[in-house]
Amino acid sequence: MFKQKTISKLLIIVMLMSSMLLSACGTKTNETQGTGSDKEEIVEVDIFQFKVEIAQELEAAIKAYQNDNPNVKINLQTVGGGDDYGAALRAKFQSGNEPAIFNVGGPQDVQDWLDRLEELTNEAWVDKALTGVLSGVTVEDKVYGLPFNMEGYGLIYNKRIFEAAGIDGDKIVDFASLEDAVKTLDAKIKAGELKEEFPLLEAVFEYAAKETWVTGLHTSNAFISQEFNSSLDAFDAKTLEFKYADQLKKFIDLQADYTSNAKSKNRLNAVDYSTQVEHGLALERVAIIQQGNWVFGGVNNINPEVAENLGILPMPVVGVKEDSIPVGVPMYWTVNKNKDEKVIDAAKDFLNWLYTSDTGKDYIVNKFYFIPPLEGYGDLKANDPISAEVLRFAEAGRVMPWVFMGYPTGWGMDVLGVNIQKYYAGEITWDEAVQDSITKWQETR
Amino acid sequence: MMEKKIEKKTVLTRSTNFNMGKKRNKNILLTISILLGLLYLSPFYLVITNSLKTQQGIFLNVMGLPFDKFFKPHNYLEAFKQLDFIKSFINSLVITTSSTVAIIIFSSMASWMLVRTKTKFSSFLFFLFAAAMLIPFQSVMLPLVNIAGKLGLLNPVGLVFMYLGFGSSLSIMLYHGFIKNIPYELEEAATIDGCNTFQIFWHIIFPLLKPITVTVSILNAMWIWNDFLLPQLVINKPQWQTIPLKMFYFFGQYSRRWDLALAGLVISMIPIIVFYFTVQKHIIKGITQGSIK
Amino acid sequence: MKRSKIWFALFVSPILLAFTVVVVVPMLIGIYYSFTNWDGIRSGSWVGLSNYIKVLTNDKDFFKSFIFTAKFAATSVVTINLLGFLLALLVTRGLRLSNVLRSVFFMPNLIGGLILGFIWQFIFTNGFNAVGKFLGVEFLQGWLADSTTGFLGLVILMSWQMAGYMMIIYISALENIPESLLEAADIDGANSFHKLIHITIPLVAQAFTVGLFLALSNSFKLFDQNLALTGGGPYNSTQMLALNIYNTAFRFNDFGVAQAKAVLFLIAVAAITLTQIYYSKKREVEM
Repeated sequence: MFKQKTISKLLIIVMLMSSMLLSACGTKTNETQGTGSDKEEIVEVDIFQFKVEIAQELEAAIKAYQNDNPNVKINLQTVGGGDDYGAALRAKFQSGNEPAIFNVGGPQDVQDWLDRLEELTNEAWVDKALTGVLSGVTVEDKVYGLPFNMEGYGLIYNKRIFEAAGIDGDKIVDFASLEDAVKTLDAKIKAGELKEEFPLLEAVFEYAAKETWVTGLHTSNAFISQEFNSSLDAFDAKTLEFKYADQLKKFIDLQADYTSNAKSKNRLNAVDYSTQVEHGLALERVAIIQQGNWVFGGVNNINPEVAENLGILPMPVVGVKEDSIPVGVPMYWTVNKNKDEKVIDAAKDFLNWLYTSDTGKDYIVNKFYFIPPLEGYGDLKANDPISAEVLRFAEAGRVMPWVFMGYPTGWGMDVLGVNIQKYYAGEITWDEAVQDSITKWQETR
Repeated sequence: MMEKKIEKKTVLTRSTNFNMGKKRNKNILLTISILLGLLYLSPFYLVITNSLKTQQGIFLNVMGLPFDKFFKPHNYLEAFKQLDFIKSFINSLVITTSSTVAIIIFSSMASWMLVRTKTKFSSFLFFLFAAAMLIPFQSVMLPLVNIAGKLGLLNPVGLVFMYLGFGSSLSIMLYHGFIKNIPYELEEAATIDGCNTFQIFWHIIFPLLKPITVTVSILNAMWIWNDFLLPQLVINKPQWQTIPLKMFYFFGQYSRRWDLALAGLVISMIPIIVFYFTVQKHIIKGITQGSIK
Repeated sequence: MKRSKIWFALFVSPILLAFTVVVVVPMLIGIYYSFTNWDGIRSGSWVGLSNYIKVLTNDKDFFKSFIFTAKFAATSVVTINLLGFLLALLVTRGLRLSNVLRSVFFMPNLIGGLILGFIWQFIFTNGFNAVGKFLGVEFLQGWLADSTTGFLGLVILMSWQMAGYMMIIYISALENIPESLLEAADIDGANSFHKLIHITIPLVAQAFTVGLFLALSNSFKLFDQNLALTGGGPYNSTQMLALNIYNTAFRFNDFGVAQAKAVLFLIAVAAITLTQIYYSKKREVEM
């Protein structure tokens, strides 16, 4: 008896307290709604995005937009700290506090989030989209995402070092000429010929094998994209043939053999992004790294002189496509269709404004340092040298698609990237690495 | 008689020898301690010197002192500005203080009751609290935000409530162990004097808990002050951002602004260090009491 | 009698409410999810025990990380407590600077785990490398590049951070030892070593129980430092359980499997720590 009474009393207290909590919050929401309807109706649009690098500038763009659209209030939330966006986004949706605008990465994300995605097929910017940039977010001819920007990566090289060594980067258009250049440069570095001008220079390459996205996603993409036309093709593929595995081996061997860890390649597994880009390229400790136009800001922070003199060399797939670099879309903006119609409309309008209005375009190119994924930017061109190089390749048609967003979930980084680490460490042979990767691809599909 | 004297003498000589040896030993020990101390501080040396360097300086000469063209005290100003320090400091302070106070009040009350009530239900509750120490946060994260969203807890008040929940295990364990050692007679006397349970606790018991309260407050304050994940899930709104949330803006998708991050780290460490130094005299007596008995 | 129950409810329910809402209920929901194919977005459908079967029969990485975690916990529990105890012995000798040193040894606890991990990553990869090159010691170069140095790195980092915490527990235990006992031993002609073995250690045995429990549960749950220092690499050879669970959920989107792993993990850790407490208690009594 006593016990039952205690429990019921406990329950009453618990209920009282929780009802207090609930009611306190209930009144709050009512208040905000009240003030909203008093005046002209304010539409609130919550943005939940992942790119810390543009957070401040995006906030400024939002202010500019709000000045022209006083009835819209946009709340920007940026997830800091690197690659936790997926986790944070899920938590956001779990909490019921769903954002109106958020980011997705490719076919897998689109499939996961499909019942939240507003169709954007009829938006003004769709017709302006560059060829191929929408395929990753198109399902049954319906477009669900606006591309962030174009990014390109390849072998970024220091033009001043090349000049000093008497090598012309523009003449490197296939694997043979690349290998020649690397050997020449290596010989000169070892002979100490460049010591005076570049005292820290100690190797041709630095390769961040610790970052499995560099190896498993970016490097592999050049070779696997010869097998699939787009991320969507890769996404639909039940099996991977890995036709160009030998070429991939050649390429990662080249990158490893001319680093300062050539004699103990397992140490490449501890080389991270910062060691490769900041401690390697920016300090002129190495001459070439495999990275993309996003490194500009970081290098510029450390050594503007180096940053201004960077170029891109192709990522040659021997005997298949030797003169191109992968160019693609890293992330897309999407609109949450579960929101009120007014909110959805405002969200669409904002995105459209950001990518097509004159003010918006200025932000995209000059403040975010983006390579626009749409046509109609006229003279507005990315003004950092690496983006300019990416554009040069694109205009010459020397590009291959990004297909790694279509890899099975986790496969690129945690299977292939990990296998490349094991290969460098001598734990497994290259054939074993390839076989295991092929098997795991099949297993997950 | 003689025998005794001789015995005393030998004891004496032995202990003088012993004392001299002791002195030499002490100096050796002091040297070892200082060396260990320096080893312990070396990471802080890196943090502080590099917080005064340019990015280039950090990568070119990480061990060196900051000078010449690498010297950039401006980092502090910049970090201060980018962290929006005054505002995020106040946010952190409000959240840390109120959570810590809530934890202290409610966990000390609960622990006392759990110790004094000798029922199966009471020991079950204590076991439940202790067992929860073993739950990894990542595995309750998503269900938690789901519930929090439904209960309207995604705001600073809700955050304090969550810290109360997550801080309860360790705090109750510590208080529980301590309270066991307090003689029951004290309370009996008070009951005879006509105090009710509430008064007994606040007027008699709680003051006795001071050492362990200090320990509990240090451990919780340290953890809450530095916590990133929970505030990022619960109150990631511009007006409520805490210092760790702002700190992570220095760590982007690709680049890490070490120059600003380290300067930011130094200024955000200062308040907690000040707090620690002011209360550390009490911690020595406190922390050990929370044994599992 | 009745009144005391009301008081019990009043005193216990506030924190119990918070605890239930933020720990117990989410954990129960998590256990429910371990029987579904939840993807973290839509609530999944019931799949029975298949997640558990998958983990137990077909997940080599999970077992590898379990072994690694167990090895790490075994090593670091010893180093953390040993170092913490030695530090405590050092600073209770009435040396000058004792108070300053106590603060110094405790300071690593004032920095958050992620940032601590980044700083040590810096030290191991750059600092060790520089020293190694200077002294010509091959072993100091290329740290964190293989599982051995990754393992050592984690042990060093955690020992550095947690030894100060344990030190404080041992200090107060040491200070509780009656001075008269030690003096008596002096007169009996016991040397320092004998005193340590026969007087000090038995008297602080109970503090060891606390120290071991805290170090063990912290080592098993380690996440931030693991993520920041090695990220589980190279080739997931330094991936600890908490990180493995996190990756299963957020990289592979296998939330159901991740929850099943969390449940198995909880059972294993509870079994290990409870056994540890049981034996420590037993030894305490025997001593």
